[in-house]
Amino acid sequence: MGILVKMVLLLLLINVEARPISYSGGSTAMLITDNMKDSVYYHYSPTYKYSVGIETVRDLIFNQEYSYLRFTYLMNRKNTRHSQRNLYFQSGISSKGTDNVFYGIHGDWETRRVFTGFGFKEVENTIQDYQDYFLQAGIAPYVGEYGDLHTWLMLKSKKNSITNEWQTYPVLKFFKGDFLIEFGYDSKINWDVHMMYRF
Amino acid sequence: MKIFFLLGLFLPSIAWTSGINTEPGEAHDHSHSGMHSHDHSSHEGHLHETLVDGKELEVDPERFDKFIEGLADSQIAVVSVNGMVCDFCARGIEKTFKKDKSVKRVDVDLSRGKVLVAYNNRKVIDFEEIKLKIVSNGQNATDLQILDI
Repeated sequence: MGILVKMVLLLLLINVEARPISYSGGSTAMLITDNMKDSVYYHYSPTYKYSVGIETVRDLIFNQEYSYLRFTYLMNRKNTRHSQRNLYFQSGISSKGTDNVFYGIHGDWETRRVFTGFGFKEVENTIQDYQDYFLQAGIAPYVGEYGDLHTWLMLKSKKNSITNEWQTYPVLKFFKGDFLIEFGYDSKINWDVHMMYRF
Repeated sequence: MKIFFLLGLFLPSIAWTSGINTEPGEAHDHSHSGMHSHDHSSHEGHLHETLVDGKELEVDPERFDKFIEGLADSQIAVVSVNGMVCDFCARGIEKTFKKDKSVKRVDVDLSRGKVLVAYNNRKVIDFEEIKLKIVSNGQNATDLQILDI
């Protein structure tokens, strides 16, 4: 495989829903709001390889409310001394029935200084099916120690097949202890906010 | 498309059987020093020096001294961990070790990829047990050094 292809693949390794699986026995609560949806998502990880959860969604595209029963599986992880790479499979089935599902993959690669990730999701429903894509990359302006406030400066690009237009905007991510908040802003899509608490 | 979705649910098992690695860090050193330090005050009263097997203890001296402050009659396990690249993902390690009643204190040194665990003196420290705790958080323990204080 050529170096260029490898570099492209590397840049495509990203993840918006940072850490979609917790440690064994861990729970995670998330709030997500963007131009597509407002949602509250809780998941539990029986092992570090998968999580099951419920997401309550206010769908801003089709003006609907429903819940997803979600399943995320860690397909591949590579730990090294200075990095970690992950590839996840994600899926959900809606309370509206089996005609309303989503599935896709997302991945990330990170060191203490650099983060990259990607995601692809196919959403099926009774109104209009669509695809959702994102890419994200960022750097840590300083390398914090355990227990410090950690900060990431990122760029995120996303597109769905309904608007069929890429939006790229800056994202700031902070985390300390068990709490994480990530927010971005774009004049067309307004705020993109993601909060997470692990317990 | 529903069939594709259902197939997707089985993707993990397909991935598993097709040899996709889901075991984090399949290539790592399982060496276990397991050597206890008897050089407890090599210089300036610090407790972080050379183990009896000649290996250097790979810890941040300042962090280590702070960690052992006020501890007595304890064993310190210094665990080398792969994949511990962020604070948020290391939280589970601390929580997992703290469930063990023989554990007095836990610290994570992200810079050096080390987890410091202070056990009471009665604990028989087992590297396999430590590796299981680390892997339950999704990382890999690759080495262990033990000191008595």
